[in-house]
Amino acid sequence: MSKRIFNHPEESHTGKRYWRSLGQLQDTPEFRSWLQREFPQGASELGGGEVSRRGFLSLMGASVALAGMSLSACRRPLKNLLPFTKGVEWSVPGKALFFASAMPSRNGAIPLLVTTYDGRPTKIEGNPLHKANQGTTDVWAQSSVLDLYDPERSKSVLCKGTPSDLKAFESDLSKWLAEAGDGASLAFLVDGCVSPTRERLRKAIIEKFPKARWAVYEPNGNALELQAASVAFGQNVVLRPRLERAQIILSIDRDFLGVEGDISLVRGFSSGRRASSPSQKMNRLYVAENRYTLTGGMSDHRLRVPATLAGSLLKAIALEVGRLSGDAGLVEAAKRLPAQDENFKAKWVEECALDLWSNKGSSVVLVGQKQPVAVQALGLALNAVLDSVGSVIEVHSADQEPALSISALADDLKAGKISSLFILGGNPAFNAPGNLSWADIQAGVSNVVHLSAEVNETSVKASWHIPEAHFLEQWSDAVAIDGSYLIVQPVILPIYGGLSSNELLAKVAGKDSDALTLVKETFGEKLPADSNTLELWVQAVRDGICTHSAPKGLQVSLSFDSVAKVCAASRPLRLDSTGFELVFLADSKVDDGRYANNGWLQELPDPVTKLTWDNAALISPASAERLSVVTGDVVAVTVDGRTVELPVLVLPGHAENSISVAVGYGRSAVGSVGLRVGFDVYPVTSDLESRFRKVSSVVKVGRKWPLAVTQEHGALEGRGADITRQATMSEWKDNSSNENFFKKMGIDAHAPQNFSLYTHPPLNDVHAWGMSVDLNSCTGCSACMIACQAENNIPVVGKEQVINGREMHWIRTDRYFASEGGDSAEPEMVSQPMMCQQCENAPCETVCPVNATVHSEDGLNVMAYNRCIGTRYCANNCPFKVRRFNFFDYNQRSIKELYKWNLISKKGTPDSIQLQKNPNVTVRMRGVMEKCTFCVQRVQEAKITAKALAKDSEMIPRVPVDSFTSACAQVCPTGAITFGDLNQQESQISKLRTHQRGYRLLEYLNTENRVWYLARIRNPNFRMPDAQRAGSASREIATHGNSNPHTAGNESKGGH
Amino acid sequence: MANIFPRWSNLLPIKILICVLVLGGGVASGVWYYLNPAYTRVGYEPIQPVPFSHKLHAGDLGMDCRYCHSFVETAAYANIPTTQVCMNCHSQILPDSAKLAPVRESWKTGKPIQWVQIHKTPDYVYFNHAVHVNRGVSCVSCHGKVNEMEVVYHHETHSMAWCLECHRNPQDFVRPVSEVTNLNWTPPAGKTQREIGRELVEKWHLNPPDKNCAGCHR
Repeated sequence: MSKRIFNHPEESHTGKRYWRSLGQLQDTPEFRSWLQREFPQGASELGGGEVSRRGFLSLMGASVALAGMSLSACRRPLKNLLPFTKGVEWSVPGKALFFASAMPSRNGAIPLLVTTYDGRPTKIEGNPLHKANQGTTDVWAQSSVLDLYDPERSKSVLCKGTPSDLKAFESDLSKWLAEAGDGASLAFLVDGCVSPTRERLRKAIIEKFPKARWAVYEPNGNALELQAASVAFGQNVVLRPRLERAQIILSIDRDFLGVEGDISLVRGFSSGRRASSPSQKMNRLYVAENRYTLTGGMSDHRLRVPATLAGSLLKAIALEVGRLSGDAGLVEAAKRLPAQDENFKAKWVEECALDLWSNKGSSVVLVGQKQPVAVQALGLALNAVLDSVGSVIEVHSADQEPALSISALADDLKAGKISSLFILGGNPAFNAPGNLSWADIQAGVSNVVHLSAEVNETSVKASWHIPEAHFLEQWSDAVAIDGSYLIVQPVILPIYGGLSSNELLAKVAGKDSDALTLVKETFGEKLPADSNTLELWVQAVRDGICTHSAPKGLQVSLSFDSVAKVCAASRPLRLDSTGFELVFLADSKVDDGRYANNGWLQELPDPVTKLTWDNAALISPASAERLSVVTGDVVAVTVDGRTVELPVLVLPGHAENSISVAVGYGRSAVGSVGLRVGFDVYPVTSDLESRFRKVSSVVKVGRKWPLAVTQEHGALEGRGADITRQATMSEWKDNSSNENFFKKMGIDAHAPQNFSLYTHPPLNDVHAWGMSVDLNSCTGCSACMIACQAENNIPVVGKEQVINGREMHWIRTDRYFASEGGDSAEPEMVSQPMMCQQCENAPCETVCPVNATVHSEDGLNVMAYNRCIGTRYCANNCPFKVRRFNFFDYNQRSIKELYKWNLISKKGTPDSIQLQKNPNVTVRMRGVMEKCTFCVQRVQEAKITAKALAKDSEMIPRVPVDSFTSACAQVCPTGAITFGDLNQQESQISKLRTHQRGYRLLEYLNTENRVWYLARIRNPNFRMPDAQRAGSASREIATHGNSNPHTAGNESKGGH
Repeated sequence: MANIFPRWSNLLPIKILICVLVLGGGVASGVWYYLNPAYTRVGYEPIQPVPFSHKLHAGDLGMDCRYCHSFVETAAYANIPTTQVCMNCHSQILPDSAKLAPVRESWKTGKPIQWVQIHKTPDYVYFNHAVHVNRGVSCVSCHGKVNEMEVVYHHETHSMAWCLECHRNPQDFVRPVSEVTNLNWTPPAGKTQREIGRELVEKWHLNPPDKNCAGCHR
């Protein structure tokens, strides 16, 4: 018998390649070094700049001496146990209690179920009873629990920067109100979160002060969309698309699966995307956008278009649909829109329009919220012709009365008419459009009251700053993402004091009632006259849903004339062939800057760019070459005579002549986490027409800026070629009888049969836990990463450590670009969540010298932290690179003091942050390895409950089917992640593991993973010009595999 | 040339070796004894703020453990009773006793009584009372005969080896669930603990985590 050669089968280089970064595509030396190392160069040595070896040794000597001195006090420390004096209803020490609440947000509130332990909220889940989100949440809801405990939240009332109290403020307030008369001197600026109680108070205030101004400002809000809707429909309405009813979706610059959407859009889209068999219908998504977004990543056809030209594209499509439908109104309106390029991508437009028109009634066009009103209105006109207004797009009457824009308010302020300005939430001094110079305007107002949770740029310039209560600390109400009424229930008393905006408004309105009474009154007003208010209130607070409050769809008619008028009046920007546009994006993490002090969000890699702790100017590889810049070069971008400096990040798939940049960074007055992180681009924003501007010059500054990009971290030793798999709908149909179609792609297609040197562990428990990830649903939103961080007490490590590759996320979202022949201009994008695969033959276990990581009989690869001595052999031997090492005591040191000497650095976590920790998960210390545990605390809790319930009965204690799930599966807005018991036939996971699309990663390594991935299916329109390119990834890999008859693998030799 | 080393030095290496062995052995057995939970924990008997006698309440008066430790069957923690629980009886019985002054003080002011913790598991150990008492592990197995203790003290070592002793051989310790809080229970005549234990383990499908680290470490 010949000797077995342990060379891994060569990676096939035919056809489509998957790559994480341009570095990998070009195979640069930097990327090579990432491949071969578990952690980057020098990561395991002490940081060069901080401590020299000699210095380290002398310090060590001193610490040993001091340790000896303190040994004398070896006594067991006295610890007390403090029971309640009186039993608290429902409270059982150590058991979780769940409360329904809601998180107000500019896109509509998210119904929540808040987990509290002994009175402290530790984790947020979606409310499973609510139809809008069915138990799922997003990144921001998950991370909001950390905001609650932020030790740097504002703690006291400030009067011109000096601590004061509410009484002093109230006496000032009553003075102003007494002088206000008809209210011409009063103005209110509020954020975009809609609260019916706030609306009621607004009415009361306007009644009392009829001339008071009321403005709403959201830097990334949908103001332009609402304006377009009111132009088109002639009334004040909101649009709520129900994408589950759509078959063909065209997104023109609208990232509806990312920052310009909400959970209901994501859920709606993914429900039309669930393909359990090739005979099922799947929706089709066309996307035209300037930079890669999550929406673009999910698309079947994607067109790179600068944001400036999106209007031209829409016009061309509208004209084509107008021609097909013979609708003169639409054609007339479209013709009026000035466009830069009339014959824009003719074939693409023609086929896309035909697809939209032939699916009339179930096709919809979504236009980006950054686009000018005219473009958005034309989009609505197009939807009206496609019959989607009222069907796919539900139209509801607006949740609030129309309000002034910040520009109109700025004019009034400049005119000097207003002496008292109340800013409730928001941070206009930081994020108002740059051309307004808001800070100067605000300085000219004599009394500025700013209610906010942190002392920010606006607060330091305000005459009064009032701390705002977190939404988990106040009674309030909100309108949910589907338009229904929600009650915001407090789960903890205000930790640092603080008022809610409603309480402040009540003071202005002269009402004495507390927030609870105010909300109860609003609730009562919404009920039918003869209902039992108390009973319904109790039920609504308990369940978190108000069944009577679902809004009714309006029947509206669109006025083509008004659309034509607004189109004719619009003056779109023109982009010349060498010039650039600058597009301002809502950030996927800090939004408009409001979440800047949240470490979880700062450290979350952006779903597309994988950038942490920064924002950057995104440009295409070709444009970068033209400007002769590379990632990390700083450029000066001048817009309208104002200049900002930004580091460049080259992003494949970005449109030419276009620069995108996320707003919300570069905060100058915020807590220590977000202070001066990234670059402030608000100075170059403006309130004119759209949220993109023409760039007058881009100049390379000659400086470099380190960017913490995680995209090359955790590259699987070059084995990543085929770990994401996809096919088109028709390919799947052709291969529907081939069970191995997805299972034998790439290397697995020609790998020899596996055999094991080790004995397989006896997995003889009644349970066998497994997980599946449906790549067809997964958008890559990364909510799972934050959910995991909140559930499993995962620390934040800071920018420097992320650059060193030491981020601690147990689950990461790998983003792959795929293209044939290494084309970096128009690749496809696939996201793939990656966590511990819980291998049954785990490579990490065999190399641990101290048995700190072993296998449990229910199939988990478990970590005993208290046994780990930190050799890191396991991380080296992990083929999936999912193990994380605590290089520092991240829980005991702040990220700024990691390198300080032990005896002089400040140790300990702030008390408030400790309150957030999940009591069921060990807080790990330095020198310990950790990784995804499949939420073993939840597994054990479920097993213990089943056993305790079984008591002395003779049945085998068994956890009920699908009665609990892991944190990542619970949060997933699209339901892409499924967790459950493989031993129970009825469980979801049992059905999914045998799915034809199911495959396991690196099967040829014989690790017997407990995680199954379901291959991605693209649904391209084969008449489209890019159909051959779009959605056919893995084709070459697949054919290669299937044409090789030796896939069954009876060879004895490995390697080709 | 004279010998460099005198004759007595022939035995020096052996003497040194013996000394090192004795010293080393002494240090090792010292550490073994004094740093072992059997020494550091067993017998720990702190003075409590209220001279509460388990012997009187649980022993002589025959009160059930679960009257005060009411969540032991449902929660991970066997809760310390609230002041209210004490006052249920002591507002009637011995309402003026000097020993009960801290209890009345707590009831009046709402400030909790500062009981001193005796049994403490490390932070990385997740012990769950509910699953033990519901599956036939008696209070006495881990806490000793509390019903005979005037002042409660640490009776068992609570070391990991001690835990595993039962997790590996549950038949030597389990008893009928109805007898869990009966600290004086002995196997009925004619049967040994092991015989009864074997029956129960089989009947209840007892399968305590003996190799699964995550059973206790999460």
